[in-house]
Amino acid sequence: MPEIFINGQAIQARDGQTVMDVAREHGHFIPYFCWHPQLSTAGNCRMCLVEVEGRGLDIACNMPVSKGMKVFTASDDVKAHRKAILQFITLNHPVDCGICDKAGECTLQDYHYEYNGEHSLSRDEKVKSTKFYNLSNRILLDNERCILCLRCTRFTHEVSKSMALGVERRGDVSNIRPVEDRPLSEDPYSDNIVDLCPVGALLSRQFLHKSRVWFLQPTPSVCPRCSRGCSIQVWHRKQEWRLKALDPRQNESIARVTPLENPAVNGPWICNVGRDLAQVFERARADEPMLKGRPAGIAAALDEARRIISTARHCVALVSNWGSNEELEAFKRYLGEVFHGFVKQDWQPQPGERIEDDLLIRSDKNPNTARARELFGDDAPHFPEGTDVVLVWGEGFDFAQLPPRARIIFLNSYLQPENGHADVFLPISIQTERAGHYTNFEGVVSAFEPCFEKKPGVSDAEALFKALAAPARGHL
Amino acid sequence: MAGRQLLMTFPVTATSHSLAEYLARGGYVALAKTLREMKPQDVVKEVAASGLQGRGGASFEVGRKWQVVQYDDGHPHYLIANADEGEPGTFKDRWILENNPHVLLESMLIASYALNVRNCFVYIRGEFDLPYRRLAGAVEEAYAAGYFGRNVLGTDFACDIVVYRGAGAYVAGEASGLIASLEGKKSYPRNRPPRLTVRGLYQQPTVVNNVESLSNVAGIVLHGAAAFRTVGTAKSPGTRLISISGHINRPGVYEVECGYPWMKFLEEDCGGVPGARPIKCVVPGGVSSKVLTGAEIKELVLSHEALWDAGSTMGSGGMIVIAEGTCMVSLLQVILRFYHHESCGQCTPCRHGTGWMHRIIDRIVAGGGMPDDIDRLYYVSKFNDGTTICGLGDAAGYACTGILDKFRDEFEYYIEHKRSKYGGSLECLKSS
Repeated sequence: MPEIFINGQAIQARDGQTVMDVAREHGHFIPYFCWHPQLSTAGNCRMCLVEVEGRGLDIACNMPVSKGMKVFTASDDVKAHRKAILQFITLNHPVDCGICDKAGECTLQDYHYEYNGEHSLSRDEKVKSTKFYNLSNRILLDNERCILCLRCTRFTHEVSKSMALGVERRGDVSNIRPVEDRPLSEDPYSDNIVDLCPVGALLSRQFLHKSRVWFLQPTPSVCPRCSRGCSIQVWHRKQEWRLKALDPRQNESIARVTPLENPAVNGPWICNVGRDLAQVFERARADEPMLKGRPAGIAAALDEARRIISTARHCVALVSNWGSNEELEAFKRYLGEVFHGFVKQDWQPQPGERIEDDLLIRSDKNPNTARARELFGDDAPHFPEGTDVVLVWGEGFDFAQLPPRARIIFLNSYLQPENGHADVFLPISIQTERAGHYTNFEGVVSAFEPCFEKKPGVSDAEALFKALAAPARGHL
Repeated sequence: MAGRQLLMTFPVTATSHSLAEYLARGGYVALAKTLREMKPQDVVKEVAASGLQGRGGASFEVGRKWQVVQYDDGHPHYLIANADEGEPGTFKDRWILENNPHVLLESMLIASYALNVRNCFVYIRGEFDLPYRRLAGAVEEAYAAGYFGRNVLGTDFACDIVVYRGAGAYVAGEASGLIASLEGKKSYPRNRPPRLTVRGLYQQPTVVNNVESLSNVAGIVLHGAAAFRTVGTAKSPGTRLISISGHINRPGVYEVECGYPWMKFLEEDCGGVPGARPIKCVVPGGVSSKVLTGAEIKELVLSHEALWDAGSTMGSGGMIVIAEGTCMVSLLQVILRFYHHESCGQCTPCRHGTGWMHRIIDRIVAGGGMPDDIDRLYYVSKFNDGTTICGLGDAAGYACTGILDKFRDEFEYYIEHKRSKYGGSLECLKSS
């Protein structure tokens, strides 16, 4: 337990820690670009230079603590050097914040305001390099903005292990480049490098020029694309920036998905599939209850459903494993005695998707199988002799497998052909419109919050179960 | 003869590099003595006692580097001879590799014995053709004669050697960059700690020594540290191989006993400056060392301490003589172009600083200089010093400030008049 001093404050450090670790633990901020807690130490940006009494300047990220060392994180010398380092970094940087996606959340921008704030001292032309270099079908690279912190190459070597990126040439013309025969497009975690990039060099094609980040806000959520249940941030327009002049779909759309650091589940990473949630949630929505394919009011649809249930001999329910803990529990509470419930797999792996690996991706492509199985058992769906009513909750079940004469109550969020084949169809809300919890395969419960208003005409499944269980003429 | 000699002790002939002639000169006797009579710790002690300083540029004591390695720590150890001689003006290791490769091999065997090394490496720069062929031939001869492999000279000692050719990056001459290159990676130098003697090649304790430093080991072991210390000065024992070039009548590689008078060396041994022109300045040990003017070197002797006191260093022994009438602006342009071209681009100050300095000096030479350009060169040099991972960034700054400090007026003249005070020449003109 060496005692060290940071800016005069005595701190008990642990053996093996670096000055950077200790400073962060105790609230002394040291700026950095290349350092990252989950990656190896590169020590190449030189932004974290600190002064040690009697030893001069050195980088905090690679400085082991030693007993009695006196560290200064903001001495005059340190400040002068930080300022100079920023001069060097911006020397060939285009400073095109006006058209850069990263502006507003850019480390270089923040540090420049904080630690330099001056114009460039250079009078010479900047070094030109490639713009919009095609790294993969998901990522573009702007080499002029790149500060060569090598977080992206380290990520592909140490975390995703695709080894897809390296550095080509040397000096101020060196560039990040994909490695031959190891395409970045085959790295299912590649988009993390866009978040890792401290500047706007790595650009997500999905998000390219879509929105300024200050128009957006993040809502904490849970990725439903596999049973890992990674914590994510769903970014969407702030209430005050939902403008009438914009297409309404743009006001209510998922701008991007980023990881929300959660050591218990996913650390700071998510996979690319999790970034494509818009492809799931922004499919055409069903917003009208139907009776045998004809539009009907919600009251009439509920009445018909209740009538069907009350006259049935044996009811089977196919329960969605995309339902939240609350919804699954509500079903059990209100309809558990009437229905014989089975857990249904809403989603299957998509073509080309990675099935499973040892980092995050799980083979079960549904978020809440764990809780659903706890409540409804592990049996695959089957229909005992005499089943005359089936309630299907959620998508992904082939109606041809239902008993031929059974009457069907169908709860679904999206516009799909099966909707019209059900005797009663009830549209339900999706994850981004409600709050709830999912239980992942390890039993960790994570919460998600609503990002958008519920679409008119749809109901929460929880409310529908309550209404269906009401004796008669109960309304929402 | 610039004092006593330890390495250049024989006339160079077409066959003087062969094993037969090396043996006739008393070769591999030191190895036999080491293996039969000395314990590994004794060898380390002897080398430490000799005070032998590194000949690659940093002049760090070889013995102190070796003492860090724990003989029995359970890890494999590695020894690397740094033959990636790339410092501009330096070509002394080339002489050893071409004319006496066996002294390097013998010394490496002794060092391997002392440091518990099973596999050692020679990292030789890719541009070296004859030196590589001579070294490879010597390795073949040594294997055939049983100096490498298992049971060297009938003892339990075993050692193998690999000669690895670099691909021409200056920065691969930096020890940790060399190791990265040897491992098959881009030759990016690495942050310390940990030091290479703790974690080097393949994450194991590794000693990297310059070819000339290692080549001295055989003699030290054979004759003893005390005998070695009788040569040279108290603080700079031994000799230095100096490769001299530039405006000098007899350029080449010379062995100079430390403490030898500088002017005597230039005038008597090297034949003086063509046309007997006065010396404007001298780059003492590769362009990374600060230049010394003709007046400054008048009374100096060639030893580490004398040059340190004068604010420079013997560095890698690559001496360049610059006669009066040479344009220092053009000279600095050449130097800065080199550093810009050779910066590996890993850490920020050097990646951008070397290019920035190069663009400024290019602009001055092209006639576009501005009054604050000199300040800007000082600014870049200042913030490259001590902020980079390896010494290359510092070196670019030293080279630049070394010339600016002493010849500022020439730069001011160039910026003001948009032309060189000396016609921009780097050649040695016969008459002025």
